[in-house]
Formats: sequence, structure tokens, C-alpha cells
Amino acid sequence: MGHRVLTEIQHYGFGWVLDLRKDGYNIDTLQRASAAPPWLPVERSALYVAGIDIGSASSKALILEQDRVLAHALMPTGAESAASAQRVMEIALRQAGLGLNDMSYIISTGYGRIIVPFADEEVTELSCHARGAHQLFPAVRTVLDMGGQDCKAIRCDERGRLGDFAMNDKCAAGTGRFLELMADVLQIPLNQIGALSLEATGEVRISNTCAVFAKSEVAALVRQGRDRREILAGLHEAIAARVHTLLRKVGVEPDFVIAGGIGKNIGVVQRLEARVGLPALVPPEPQIVGALGAALFAADRVAEGAVRRQRQPIA
Amino acid sequence: MVTSTSAKKHLKTTLLVPELRKKYYAQTLADSQAGKKVAWCSNNIPSEILEAMNITTVYLENYATVCASKRLSSAFCRAGERAGFSQDVCGYARILMGYILGGDDLPEAPYGGLAKPDFLIVNSYSCDSRMGWFTTMARTLDLPLYVLDSPYQPVGGCTDLDNVAYTESQLRGLIAFLEEQTGTKLDPARLRQRIELAAKANEIQVEIYEMRKHVPSPMSAGDAYTVVWPGMYLIGTKECDQFYEQLRAEVRERIASNVGIVPEEKFRLLWSGLPFWYNMALMNYFEEKGGVVAIENAFFRHLPGLPQQDEDPVRDMALRSTMRRGYAGSIGERTDLTVEIAREYSVDGVILSYNPSCRLFYILQPALKNALDRAGIPTLALECDMADERTYSEGQVKTRLDAFIERLLAR
Repeated sequence: MGHRVLTEIQHYGFGWVLDLRKDGYNIDTLQRASAAPPWLPVERSALYVAGIDIGSASSKALILEQDRVLAHALMPTGAESAASAQRVMEIALRQAGLGLNDMSYIISTGYGRIIVPFADEEVTELSCHARGAHQLFPAVRTVLDMGGQDCKAIRCDERGRLGDFAMNDKCAAGTGRFLELMADVLQIPLNQIGALSLEATGEVRISNTCAVFAKSEVAALVRQGRDRREILAGLHEAIAARVHTLLRKVGVEPDFVIAGGIGKNIGVVQRLEARVGLPALVPPEPQIVGALGAALFAADRVAEGAVRRQRQPIA
Repeated sequence: MVTSTSAKKHLKTTLLVPELRKKYYAQTLADSQAGKKVAWCSNNIPSEILEAMNITTVYLENYATVCASKRLSSAFCRAGERAGFSQDVCGYARILMGYILGGDDLPEAPYGGLAKPDFLIVNSYSCDSRMGWFTTMARTLDLPLYVLDSPYQPVGGCTDLDNVAYTESQLRGLIAFLEEQTGTKLDPARLRQRIELAAKANEIQVEIYEMRKHVPSPMSAGDAYTVVWPGMYLIGTKECDQFYEQLRAEVRERIASNVGIVPEEKFRLLWSGLPFWYNMALMNYFEEKGGVVAIENAFFRHLPGLPQQDEDPVRDMALRSTMRRGYAGSIGERTDLTVEIAREYSVDGVILSYNPSCRLFYILQPALKNALDRAGIPTLALECDMADERTYSEGQVKTRLDAFIERLLAR
């Protein structure tokens, strides 16, 4: 079952290189690890709870069993968010060998949180990222989540509670979509652009961070015969500069965690570290931090005595 | 996309405002038909003088908010932009320029349109965009314009005699302009009467603001942004005073019987800057989650008026307005005032409304955020125009609001 899921994910172009600084990580090893990931200590005790994060680009589901992550799944959201929510939940449940009725509580998050038909409650992705990042890195005070269409700078306190936050307004710069477009124009696989950008000896200055205008600008640079690595370096620098502005709105304090799909792009991560002046902590699977936070909130609710609104099989 | 527009009002008195406003606009059209002189005005002009001289006043910023609340702002803004006004120009100005310049595709204007103006009056007070907007209108419509210049005024007021003398000269200039336009003389006794009526309305409003410190909140911003209308546009009339007397009685009654806006007040907010006039229902959104926008800093009246300072009504107006002013102070003073409001009204958080096309409020917000951070009061920035609903994204706004509410409730 797991293997089929992987093929689907890779087919949609989500085969990101996870973290180039950690040897041996790729989608396959992660999926093998997902049955009992050693990197995810969860102290809470609950039955089974789930967190589901419906982002603009990808949908994530994660199942917690008392103190460990039983399974998690990720797939593209596509046009039918509600269908994707059901599908990704189904995948995670099958991996865990469980059914929806085994869940004691389900919390949805992400921009599509309101359309998850089987969720008991919604919590915003801001609170969930703070919570999830805090679980993985207890000393975290600043989380940067760079997702498909949103980019969020989030502050949290010593208990992982949400503090000040800032989000990109009406602009795709600094998001996964922006990089997808650029990788497409340059005809380089998305999972290679980060590493390639670091090979550049020079850097092209990209003046547009508007995704549409930057696309034309990059196309023009390609026609001029500029080195693609240098163009990539310029694009990554433009993103890092923009995201850094967002971070400065809320102030950056260590530990500094990067979550979301762009966390897998070593080019952006290294440039941000240089700008911020702090090392960035990137979880082995940065895209499931929100779903993890949602599942942890679900475990809290169960501990508070909450029960499921409805128990019915997935349609 | 905006899914809902008007706020659910909690006070009975608030419900009188739409009728008053409708009547007002109908009266301006009737006056114009009857040959009365019509002035198109900006906010903050000394309405008492115009009232005393029996001039029909049409307030353009108010009309822009009416257009926005009736979901017509995008059509009028587009018409303004077609004529060359950038999206960065004040939303109110774009709506009115769109209305003036027109187009086949424009919807029917609210209240049957505006009474045709005979002349224009603008106050330089607090906002610089409207100066450019009114001078442009004067040229477009080929009408006389009086620019009432307001000098810098600190928040608490000042007693600088040069400042008073300058303010007085501006008022006398306005009166001379109006006398020339109408061919009638100002009656000082009539002006005196209007000044006292306006002063009384102010007193009652200050009293109501004071009462709103009460927990649970007797009146939220959802009502406040509506009830501010008579105080801005019927100022110096008996109708205005009666309205606030009735409102005061209702607020008193709510406090006495401990009736709040929500059954159990979980958090209180301050709305800083202008609201999104096309989506006032946002105010009720907090209420669903147990919160109330207890106070707002735009239109805030905290200073009781001064007693009569001079026999001469014009000099008296100059003295009383110079010594008591609101927004035209420095950023630092305006910031301090908002932090003080946040504390006095026991708010748990502040919504900073970044209205991109409102230079007056936009420029204040970053300084305000820093000051509130220092005071330990959480803030949420929302970047949406006050009038142009195309800048509003329901999903984005709701995510930010939900996260902010989660933050406040987790404390």
C-alpha cells in the first residue's frame, strides 16, 4: 500500500530532496520510517487521534497513537479539496491499519480546514505549526512555514503557544508555487533547484518577486544564455530577502525552525540562515508539522473529555 | 469575496441611523430642487457655520462608505481608475471620481445620487489625500473651492495664540467665501445657537465613550461605527442631540441591567483605523467566538468640550477647537493615545486595520504596533482597504482572525 502512495506522490512532482545535510534521507526512507519514526518523541498519552492539514498545494494527514506517530500521508490537494481530505486520511488510516471510527478525535487545519467533512474541530495552521514545531524542537521560539501559497512567520512561547505572526498578503512570492513556476521555466526538476543554486559562482539579480513578472524575467535571462545556476541563485536570494522581511515583522529568536515544503530546498534554507544569522532547524519531514500540531491539539481535547461529533465511515 | 455586509446591531437606537441617513440624503436632493445652495464637503469642516447659514451639506467621505456598504464600491472605484486614478489613491476619492466621471456600466447610485454642488469645501485637517482629491474635483466640475487650512495640533490641544489666530482667520475666510457664494450674511446669533447644540452633542458622546469602558461592553464597534453618523453629519442640530440622548439612555440601561454584547465576554478588542465598510459583519464574527470589539480609535471622542471662551462666536470656535483636538497630532501622540485607550477599555488585543489607500491611518499602524508590543498587548494586522472591497479576501482574513482569537483564548 505504502509503495503505491509513493508512486502517486512522486508522480505529482513532490519528490523533494528532504534535507541534503542529512545523509540518506529521501521519500523512501522516510516512508519506511513512518511506521515508527525514531525522530518524533511524543509524550502524550491518548488513544488514536488524527490531524489533517489541507494546504493549498498538498494535503497531509497524521495519526497519533498515545505517544507515537502511527502513520502520516501526503498528497497533492488538487481542485477537489474535500475529496483530497478524504483520500489522504484514508491513506494514513490504511498505513496505520485503522479505520476512521478508531479515531477518538480529529482536528483539521490549513486553508481547507473548513471543508473536512469528518473533522470534529478546526484550528488554524498558525497555532498548529507553533504546536507541531514545539513538539519536535521544544526550544523553538520562531517558526517559518513556507507552504504552497502561504508564507507565515510565527512566534511561540516556551509552551508552544501561538504568539505574534505575519503572513504574506496577496502575493505568491516566497511560496512553493513561485518556485514550482520557476523550476518549470528553467526545466529543472523541483527537487534539484535548491542544490543547483548553491553551485552558482555568480548571481543574477531578479528584480521581480511577483510570480508572473518573475517568470517573464527568468525566461528572458534564459534566452540571453545566462547560467541557470546563477538565475536560480538570484531567485532563491529574492525569496530569502522577501521572507526575511516577513520574519523581521515579528522578530526572530532562537530556536528557529523552518517548516513547509520549501524547508526541503537547501538553497532557500542556507540563504535564510545567512540573512537571519541563526541556524535553521528543519524537521526530517517539514510538510507534516501542521498536521502533527493538529493531532496534538486533538489529543489535548480527548484529555479534556471531548468526544467525536460523528462516527461514520469515509464515503 | 465578501459574503456578508452589514453588522448585526445590538442597540435599538442604532437602528434609527439608516432612516436618519436616508432622510438626510433625500432632503439634500429636495433642497437642491428648491434652489438652496449645496456644498460638497470633506469631513471635519465646521458644520455649525454651514448649518447657521442654511447651506445644504453633502459629505463625500460618508457617501463613499454608503457606496461601500451597498457593495457598489468596486464598480465606482473601477470607473475612477479608468479615468487614471491609481489603485493606491484613497478609495473614497476613487469612488467619488468614478461617480462624477460616470460610465454606462455603473450601477444606480445610492439614495438616487448626490445633490448637484454649487461649491466645494475641504479641510486640510488630518488627511492630505483629500486636498488633491478636492482640488481635482474643483477643476473637473469647474466649481469654486474653499480650502480650510488646519495647522498642526497636538492631541491634547494647544493654547498657542498664533495658532488660534490662524484658525480664526481660516474660519473668517470660510464665512466670507460662503457669504459671497450665497449672497447672504451670517447671523452670529444663529451660529451661537449651533455651537451650543454641537457642544451638547459632544458632551453626551464623551459620556457614552466613558460608559463603554464597562465590562461587559454595553456597546460594540459594530454599533459605534453607525451611531457616529449623526455626530459627524447632523452636528449642530436638535435632531443630533436628541439622538445621543436616546443612545445614552439605552447604554445606561444596558449597564444597569448588566447586558453585554455577548452572553459571556471572553475577550475584548480595540479596532484601530477604519473598518472595512463593505463588511461590517466582521464585527459580529468576534461575537460568535465570545469576543467583542469594545472600542475603536477612529472618531474617538474622549475630551469634554470647553465652556464658552469668547463672546464672538467665530473667535470662540477657534479657541475651543484649537484647545481641544484629536487626530492632527504627531504620530507619537496619536500612538500614546491609542495605547491609553487599549488600557482604559481593558482590551486583550488590538486589530490594526491597514487600509492601504488611507494615508492617515496606514502610516500610524507600524508605530502603533511597536508601542502596543512594548505594552504587552497583542496585535493583528489586517491589510484591506476601507472602501475598495476588491482588496478583501475572506479566506485570508478569517484565517488571521481565527489564529488571533486562538492566541487570545490560549492565554
